Amino acid sequence: MVPLYWYLWLGGVVFAIGVFGFLARRNIIIMFLSIELMLNGVNISLVALSHYMQDLRGQILVFFIIAVAAAEAAIGLAIIIAMFRNRDTLHADEMAEMKG
Amino acid sequence: MPGSYLPSSYLPVLIFLVISLVFGLGALVMGGMFRLRRPYAEKLRPYESGVTPVGEPRQRFSVRFYVIAMLFVVFDVEVIFLYPWAVVFDRIGLFAFIEMVIFIFILLVGYVYAWRKEAFVWE
Amino acid sequence: MVEWFFGYLAGAVILLAILVVASRNPVHSVLWMLLMFLHVAGLYLLLNAEFLAATQVIVYAGAILVLFLFVVMLLNLREEIKIRRFTGGWLFKGLTALGIIYVLRRGLEGFRVGFEGPWSIEAVGRATHTRALGQVLFTEYILPFEIASLLLLVAIVGAVFLSKKRLR
Repeated sequence: MVPLYWYLWLGGVVFAIGVFGFLARRNIIIMFLSIELMLNGVNISLVALSHYMQDLRGQILVFFIIAVAAAEAAIGLAIIIAMFRNRDTLHADEMAEMKG
Repeated sequence: MPGSYLPSSYLPVLIFLVISLVFGLGALVMGGMFRLRRPYAEKLRPYESGVTPVGEPRQRFSVRFYVIAMLFVVFDVEVIFLYPWAVVFDRIGLFAFIEMVIFIFILLVGYVYAWRKEAFVWE
Repeated sequence: MVEWFFGYLAGAVILLAILVVASRNPVHSVLWMLLMFLHVAGLYLLLNAEFLAATQVIVYAGAILVLFLFVVMLLNLREEIKIRRFTGGWLFKGLTALGIIYVLRRGLEGFRVGFEGPWSIEAVGRATHTRALGQVLFTEYILPFEIASLLLLVAIVGAVFLSKKRLR
Protein backbone atom coordinates (compact mmCIF):
# COMPACT_ATOMS: atom_id res chain seq x y z
CA MET A 1 0.00 0.00 0.00
CA VAL A 2 1.61 3.23 -1.18
CA PRO A 3 0.02 6.31 0.43
CA LEU A 4 -0.80 9.28 -1.77
CA TYR A 5 1.63 11.64 -0.14
CA TRP A 6 4.63 9.55 -1.21
CA TYR A 7 3.74 10.40 -4.79
CA LEU A 8 3.14 14.06 -3.94
CA TRP A 9 6.53 14.17 -2.23
CA LEU A 10 8.20 12.62 -5.24
CA GLY A 11 6.56 15.18 -7.54
CA GLY A 12 7.61 18.00 -5.23
CA VAL A 13 11.20 16.84 -5.03
CA VAL A 14 11.48 16.50 -8.81
CA PHE A 15 9.97 19.99 -9.15
CA ALA A 16 12.48 21.41 -6.64
CA ILE A 17 15.39 19.80 -8.49
CA GLY A 18 14.09 21.45 -11.65
CA VAL A 19 13.90 24.83 -9.94
CA PHE A 20 17.43 24.44 -8.66
CA GLY A 21 18.71 23.49 -12.11
CA PHE A 22 16.93 26.41 -13.71
CA LEU A 23 18.39 28.90 -11.25
CA ALA A 24 21.89 27.45 -10.92
CA ARG A 25 22.82 26.40 -14.44
CA ARG A 26 23.56 28.88 -17.18
CA ASN A 27 23.66 26.56 -20.16
CA ILE A 28 20.41 27.40 -21.85
CA ILE A 29 19.71 23.84 -23.02
CA ILE A 30 20.03 22.51 -19.48
CA MET A 31 17.80 25.34 -18.25
CA PHE A 32 15.26 24.11 -20.76
CA LEU A 33 15.62 20.54 -19.54
CA SER A 34 15.05 21.82 -16.01
CA ILE A 35 11.71 23.26 -17.13
CA GLU A 36 10.80 19.83 -18.46
CA LEU A 37 11.80 18.39 -15.08
CA MET A 38 9.42 20.79 -13.34
CA LEU A 39 6.60 19.84 -15.71
CA ASN A 40 7.24 16.18 -14.99
CA GLY A 41 7.13 16.76 -11.25
CA VAL A 42 3.72 18.35 -11.66
CA ASN A 43 2.61 15.54 -13.95
CA ILE A 44 3.50 12.88 -11.39
CA SER A 45 1.45 14.69 -8.74
CA LEU A 46 -1.52 15.12 -11.07
CA VAL A 47 -1.61 11.49 -12.17
CA ALA A 48 -1.28 10.34 -8.55
CA LEU A 49 -4.14 12.59 -7.46
CA SER A 50 -6.21 11.37 -10.38
CA HIS A 51 -5.63 7.76 -9.35
CA TYR A 52 -6.37 8.25 -5.66
CA MET A 53 -9.42 10.45 -6.23
CA GLN A 54 -10.68 8.01 -8.89
CA ASP A 55 -11.24 10.81 -11.35
CA LEU A 56 -9.74 11.00 -14.81
CA ARG A 57 -9.60 14.77 -15.02
CA GLY A 58 -6.07 14.92 -13.63
CA GLN A 59 -4.91 12.66 -16.43
CA ILE A 60 -6.62 14.85 -19.03
CA LEU A 61 -4.70 17.79 -17.60
CA VAL A 62 -1.45 15.85 -17.93
CA PHE A 63 -2.38 15.08 -21.50
CA PHE A 64 -2.68 18.80 -22.25
CA ILE A 65 0.52 19.54 -20.36
CA ILE A 66 2.35 17.11 -22.63
CA ALA A 67 0.93 18.86 -25.70
CA VAL A 68 1.96 22.25 -24.31
CA ALA A 69 5.42 20.92 -23.53
CA ALA A 70 5.83 19.78 -27.12
CA ALA A 71 4.80 23.18 -28.49
CA GLU A 72 7.02 24.92 -25.98
CA ALA A 73 10.00 22.75 -26.88
CA ALA A 74 9.52 23.41 -30.61
CA ILE A 75 9.38 27.20 -30.24
CA GLY A 76 11.91 27.48 -27.43
CA LEU A 77 14.51 25.45 -29.26
CA ALA A 78 13.90 27.48 -32.42
CA ILE A 79 14.60 30.61 -30.36
CA ILE A 80 17.78 29.00 -29.00
CA ILE A 81 18.95 28.24 -32.53
CA ALA A 82 18.20 31.78 -33.70
CA MET A 83 20.05 33.22 -30.70
CA PHE A 84 23.00 30.92 -31.23
CA ARG A 85 23.26 32.03 -34.84
CA ASN A 86 23.31 35.68 -33.80
CA ARG A 87 25.40 35.53 -30.65
CA ASP A 88 27.35 32.27 -30.96
CA THR A 89 26.87 31.40 -27.31
CA LEU A 90 24.69 29.18 -25.15
CA HIS A 91 25.40 31.10 -21.97
CA ALA A 92 22.24 32.73 -20.67
CA ASP A 93 24.10 35.58 -18.95
CA GLU A 94 25.44 36.83 -22.24
CA MET A 95 21.97 37.27 -23.71
CA ALA A 96 21.15 40.41 -21.79
CA GLU A 97 20.77 43.19 -24.35
CA MET A 98 17.15 43.68 -23.28
CA LYS A 99 18.38 44.61 -19.81
CA GLY A 100 17.80 48.30 -19.13
CA MET B 1 -8.05 0.07 -3.87
CA PRO B 2 -5.78 2.90 -5.06
CA GLY B 3 -2.23 2.57 -3.82
CA SER B 4 -2.02 -1.19 -3.94
CA TYR B 5 -2.80 -1.53 -7.64
CA LEU B 6 -0.35 -3.67 -9.59
CA PRO B 7 -0.55 -3.63 -13.40
CA SER B 8 -0.20 -7.39 -13.61
CA SER B 9 -0.84 -7.47 -17.36
CA TYR B 10 2.49 -5.71 -17.80
CA LEU B 11 4.42 -8.58 -16.21
CA PRO B 12 5.67 -9.80 -19.65
CA VAL B 13 7.08 -6.31 -20.32
CA LEU B 14 8.92 -6.42 -17.01
CA ILE B 15 10.31 -9.88 -17.73
CA PHE B 16 11.35 -8.71 -21.19
CA LEU B 17 13.14 -5.67 -19.74
CA VAL B 18 14.94 -7.76 -17.12
CA ILE B 19 16.05 -10.37 -19.65
CA SER B 20 17.26 -7.76 -22.13
CA LEU B 21 19.18 -5.92 -19.40
CA VAL B 22 20.78 -9.11 -18.12
CA PHE B 23 21.61 -10.18 -21.65
CA GLY B 24 23.15 -6.85 -22.67
CA LEU B 25 25.09 -6.24 -19.48
CA GLY B 26 26.08 -9.92 -19.26
CA ALA B 27 27.57 -9.85 -22.74
CA LEU B 28 29.60 -6.74 -21.88
CA VAL B 29 30.81 -8.11 -18.55
CA MET B 30 31.69 -11.53 -19.96
CA GLY B 31 33.53 -9.91 -22.86
CA GLY B 32 35.43 -7.73 -20.43
CA MET B 33 36.43 -10.75 -18.37
CA PHE B 34 37.69 -12.94 -21.17
CA ARG B 35 39.13 -10.65 -23.84
CA LEU B 36 42.79 -9.82 -24.29
CA ARG B 37 43.68 -6.25 -23.49
CA ARG B 38 46.80 -4.97 -25.24
CA PRO B 39 46.04 -1.37 -26.21
CA TYR B 40 48.34 0.81 -28.25
CA ALA B 41 47.78 4.15 -29.91
CA GLU B 42 46.98 2.85 -33.38
CA LYS B 43 44.40 0.42 -32.03
CA LEU B 44 42.61 2.99 -29.88
CA ARG B 45 42.17 5.46 -32.71
CA PRO B 46 38.62 6.00 -34.05
CA TYR B 47 37.94 3.63 -36.91
CA GLU B 48 37.38 5.35 -40.22
CA SER B 49 37.75 2.49 -42.67
CA GLY B 50 41.51 2.48 -42.41
CA VAL B 51 42.01 6.17 -43.23
CA THR B 52 43.66 8.42 -40.67
CA PRO B 53 40.88 10.42 -38.94
CA VAL B 54 40.69 14.09 -39.93
CA GLY B 55 38.98 16.82 -37.94
CA GLU B 56 36.52 16.62 -35.08
CA PRO B 57 33.94 13.89 -34.62
CA ARG B 58 31.33 16.48 -33.57
CA GLN B 59 30.24 18.32 -36.66
CA ARG B 60 27.43 20.78 -36.89
CA PHE B 61 24.29 19.52 -38.53
CA SER B 62 22.29 21.71 -40.83
CA VAL B 63 19.28 23.60 -39.46
CA ARG B 64 17.12 21.87 -42.06
CA PHE B 65 17.13 18.80 -39.83
CA TYR B 66 15.67 20.86 -37.04
CA VAL B 67 12.72 22.05 -39.10
CA ILE B 68 11.86 18.47 -40.01
CA ALA B 69 12.23 17.28 -36.38
CA MET B 70 10.06 20.12 -35.14
CA LEU B 71 7.28 19.35 -37.59
CA PHE B 72 7.53 15.71 -36.53
CA VAL B 73 7.04 16.65 -32.87
CA VAL B 74 3.95 18.75 -33.57
CA PHE B 75 2.27 16.15 -35.73
CA ASP B 76 3.24 13.44 -33.25
CA VAL B 77 1.18 15.27 -30.65
CA GLU B 78 -1.68 15.52 -33.13
CA VAL B 79 -1.60 11.75 -33.64
CA ILE B 80 -1.60 11.22 -29.86
CA PHE B 81 -4.90 13.09 -29.75
CA LEU B 82 -6.22 10.89 -32.54
CA TYR B 83 -5.77 7.61 -30.62
CA PRO B 84 -8.42 8.11 -27.90
CA TRP B 85 -10.69 9.72 -30.47
CA ALA B 86 -10.53 6.62 -32.66
CA VAL B 87 -11.33 4.42 -29.66
CA VAL B 88 -14.40 6.36 -28.51
CA PHE B 89 -15.63 7.26 -31.98
CA ASP B 90 -18.31 4.55 -31.98
CA ARG B 91 -19.77 5.91 -28.73
CA ILE B 92 -19.89 9.63 -29.44
CA GLY B 93 -20.40 9.53 -33.19
CA LEU B 94 -21.05 12.61 -35.31
CA PHE B 95 -20.27 15.07 -32.53
CA ALA B 96 -16.75 13.68 -32.07
CA PHE B 97 -16.33 13.66 -35.83
CA ILE B 98 -17.06 17.40 -36.09
CA GLU B 99 -14.72 18.12 -33.19
CA MET B 100 -11.93 16.25 -34.91
CA VAL B 101 -12.58 17.89 -38.27
CA ILE B 102 -12.14 21.32 -36.66
CA PHE B 103 -8.99 20.12 -34.87
CA ILE B 104 -7.41 18.71 -38.00
CA PHE B 105 -8.46 21.73 -40.08
CA ILE B 106 -6.65 24.11 -37.72
CA LEU B 107 -3.53 21.98 -37.91
CA LEU B 108 -3.88 21.77 -41.66
CA VAL B 109 -3.56 25.56 -41.76
CA GLY B 110 -0.19 25.18 -40.05
CA TYR B 111 0.77 22.46 -42.49
CA VAL B 112 -0.10 24.67 -45.46
CA TYR B 113 1.86 27.53 -43.90
CA ALA B 114 4.93 25.32 -43.49
CA TRP B 115 4.48 24.15 -47.06
CA ARG B 116 4.19 27.67 -48.46
CA LYS B 117 7.21 28.77 -46.45
CA GLU B 118 9.10 25.91 -48.13
CA ALA B 119 9.89 24.16 -44.85
CA PHE B 120 9.84 20.84 -46.69
CA VAL B 121 12.18 21.96 -49.48
CA TRP B 122 15.66 20.50 -49.14
CA GLU B 123 17.64 23.21 -50.84
CA MET C 1 5.29 -5.59 -3.59
CA VAL C 2 3.91 -2.26 -4.86
CA GLU C 3 6.10 -0.47 -2.33
CA TRP C 4 9.19 -2.05 -3.84
CA PHE C 5 8.27 -1.03 -7.35
CA PHE C 6 7.48 2.48 -6.17
CA GLY C 7 10.71 2.65 -4.18
CA TYR C 8 12.82 1.63 -7.14
CA LEU C 9 11.07 3.96 -9.60
CA ALA C 10 11.03 6.94 -7.23
CA GLY C 11 14.70 6.49 -6.28
CA ALA C 12 15.69 6.18 -9.93
CA VAL C 13 13.65 9.25 -10.91
CA ILE C 14 15.22 11.43 -8.22
CA LEU C 15 18.75 10.18 -8.91
CA LEU C 16 18.35 10.72 -12.66
CA ALA C 17 16.86 14.18 -12.14
CA ILE C 18 19.91 15.14 -10.10
CA LEU C 19 22.17 13.76 -12.84
CA VAL C 20 20.30 15.80 -15.46
CA VAL C 21 20.92 19.00 -13.55
CA ALA C 22 24.51 18.20 -12.58
CA SER C 23 25.95 16.82 -15.83
CA ARG C 24 28.64 18.91 -17.45
CA ASN C 25 27.90 17.77 -20.97
CA PRO C 26 24.41 18.64 -22.32
CA VAL C 27 24.32 15.40 -24.33
CA HIS C 28 24.69 13.42 -21.11
CA SER C 29 21.94 15.53 -19.55
CA VAL C 30 19.57 14.73 -22.39
CA LEU C 31 20.33 11.01 -22.18
CA TRP C 32 19.77 10.91 -18.40
CA MET C 33 16.52 12.75 -19.05
CA LEU C 34 15.51 10.02 -21.50
CA LEU C 35 16.05 7.36 -18.84
CA MET C 36 14.13 9.47 -16.34
CA PHE C 37 11.14 9.76 -18.69
CA LEU C 38 11.04 5.97 -19.04
CA HIS C 39 10.96 5.59 -15.25
CA VAL C 40 8.19 8.19 -14.99
CA ALA C 41 6.27 6.11 -17.54
CA GLY C 42 6.72 3.17 -15.16
CA LEU C 43 5.22 5.26 -12.36
CA TYR C 44 2.22 6.04 -14.59
CA LEU C 45 1.71 2.32 -15.13
CA LEU C 46 1.70 1.84 -11.37
CA LEU C 47 -0.97 4.56 -11.17
CA ASN C 48 -3.24 2.80 -13.66
CA ALA C 49 -2.60 5.35 -16.40
CA GLU C 50 -1.34 3.15 -19.19
CA PHE C 51 -2.32 5.46 -22.03
CA LEU C 52 -0.38 8.29 -20.41
CA ALA C 53 2.58 5.95 -19.97
CA ALA C 54 2.49 5.27 -23.71
CA THR C 55 2.12 9.00 -24.39
CA GLN C 56 5.07 9.72 -22.16
CA VAL C 57 7.21 7.29 -24.13
CA ILE C 58 5.97 8.38 -27.57
CA VAL C 59 5.88 12.16 -27.14
CA TYR C 60 8.37 12.94 -24.40
CA ALA C 61 10.99 10.26 -24.89
CA GLY C 62 10.39 9.75 -28.58
CA ALA C 63 9.83 13.25 -29.91
CA ILE C 64 10.71 16.07 -27.51
CA LEU C 65 14.03 14.60 -26.43
CA VAL C 66 14.95 13.83 -30.03
CA LEU C 67 14.35 17.52 -30.71
CA PHE C 68 16.64 18.41 -27.82
CA LEU C 69 19.34 16.08 -29.09
CA PHE C 70 19.01 17.60 -32.54
CA VAL C 71 19.56 21.05 -31.15
CA VAL C 72 22.53 19.94 -29.06
CA MET C 73 24.03 18.51 -32.23
CA LEU C 74 23.22 21.65 -34.24
CA LEU C 75 25.21 23.77 -31.85
CA ASN C 76 28.90 23.50 -31.34
CA LEU C 77 29.47 22.83 -27.68
CA ARG C 78 33.11 22.07 -27.21
CA GLU C 79 33.99 25.26 -25.37
CA GLU C 80 30.70 25.08 -23.49
CA ILE C 81 31.87 22.02 -21.61
CA LYS C 82 34.93 23.76 -20.27
CA ILE C 83 33.32 26.74 -18.55
CA ARG C 84 31.96 26.72 -15.03
CA ARG C 85 28.85 24.64 -14.55
CA PHE C 86 27.02 26.51 -11.84
CA THR C 87 26.56 30.22 -11.42
CA GLY C 88 27.87 31.88 -8.33
CA GLY C 89 25.83 31.85 -5.17
CA TRP C 90 24.37 28.44 -5.86
CA LEU C 91 23.91 27.97 -2.14
CA PHE C 92 21.13 30.56 -2.30
CA LYS C 93 19.55 28.72 -5.21
CA GLY C 94 19.72 25.45 -3.32
CA LEU C 95 18.00 27.17 -0.40
CA THR C 96 15.27 28.32 -2.78
CA ALA C 97 14.68 24.74 -3.87
CA LEU C 98 14.68 23.56 -0.25
CA GLY C 99 12.21 26.34 0.55
CA ILE C 100 9.85 24.98 -2.09
CA ILE C 101 10.11 21.54 -0.50
CA TYR C 102 9.40 23.08 2.91
CA VAL C 103 6.32 24.93 1.68
CA LEU C 104 5.16 21.71 0.08
CA ARG C 105 5.62 19.83 3.35
CA ARG C 106 3.57 22.34 5.28
CA GLY C 107 0.91 22.25 2.59
CA LEU C 108 0.74 18.47 2.54
CA GLU C 109 0.28 18.10 6.29
CA GLY C 110 -3.40 18.94 6.22
CA PHE C 111 -4.16 17.44 2.83
CA ARG C 112 -6.90 14.81 2.62
CA VAL C 113 -8.35 13.27 -0.50
CA GLY C 114 -11.85 14.59 -1.03
CA PHE C 115 -14.82 12.79 -2.54
CA GLU C 116 -14.16 9.95 -4.90
CA GLY C 117 -15.01 10.22 -8.57
CA PRO C 118 -16.71 7.64 -10.76
CA TRP C 119 -13.56 6.16 -12.32
CA SER C 120 -12.45 3.50 -9.87
CA ILE C 121 -9.88 0.94 -10.96
CA GLU C 122 -12.64 -1.53 -11.81
CA ALA C 123 -14.56 1.06 -13.84
CA VAL C 124 -11.46 2.02 -15.79
CA GLY C 125 -10.64 -1.65 -16.29
CA ARG C 126 -14.14 -2.37 -17.59
CA ALA C 127 -14.06 0.53 -20.05
CA THR C 128 -10.34 0.05 -20.92
CA HIS C 129 -8.13 2.98 -20.13
CA THR C 130 -7.88 4.68 -23.51
CA ARG C 131 -11.64 4.56 -23.96
CA ALA C 132 -12.26 6.00 -20.49
CA LEU C 133 -9.82 8.83 -21.18
CA GLY C 134 -11.34 9.53 -24.58
CA GLN C 135 -14.82 9.53 -23.09
CA VAL C 136 -13.89 12.31 -20.67
CA LEU C 137 -11.66 14.18 -23.12
CA PHE C 138 -14.15 14.38 -25.98
CA THR C 139 -17.25 15.18 -23.96
CA GLU C 140 -16.12 17.43 -21.10
CA TYR C 141 -12.98 18.98 -22.55
CA ILE C 142 -13.92 20.00 -26.08
CA LEU C 143 -12.81 23.62 -25.84
CA PRO C 144 -9.35 22.91 -24.37
CA PHE C 145 -8.96 20.25 -27.03
CA GLU C 146 -9.60 22.74 -29.83
CA ILE C 147 -7.39 25.31 -28.14
CA ALA C 148 -4.62 22.71 -28.04
CA SER C 149 -4.79 22.58 -31.83
CA LEU C 150 -4.43 26.36 -31.96
CA LEU C 151 -1.40 26.06 -29.70
CA LEU C 152 0.16 23.50 -32.01
CA LEU C 153 -0.59 25.81 -34.95
CA VAL C 154 1.27 28.60 -33.17
CA ALA C 155 4.15 26.20 -32.57
CA ILE C 156 4.38 25.31 -36.26
CA VAL C 157 4.17 28.91 -37.45
CA GLY C 158 6.62 30.19 -34.83
CA ALA C 159 9.23 27.54 -35.32
CA VAL C 160 9.06 27.62 -39.13
CA PHE C 161 9.27 31.40 -39.08
CA LEU C 162 12.20 31.48 -36.67
CA SER C 163 14.27 28.86 -38.39
CA LYS C 164 13.45 29.55 -42.04
CA LYS C 165 13.80 33.32 -42.18
CA ARG C 166 17.54 33.41 -42.22
CA LEU C 167 18.01 30.67 -44.77
CA ARG C 168 17.07 32.88 -47.67
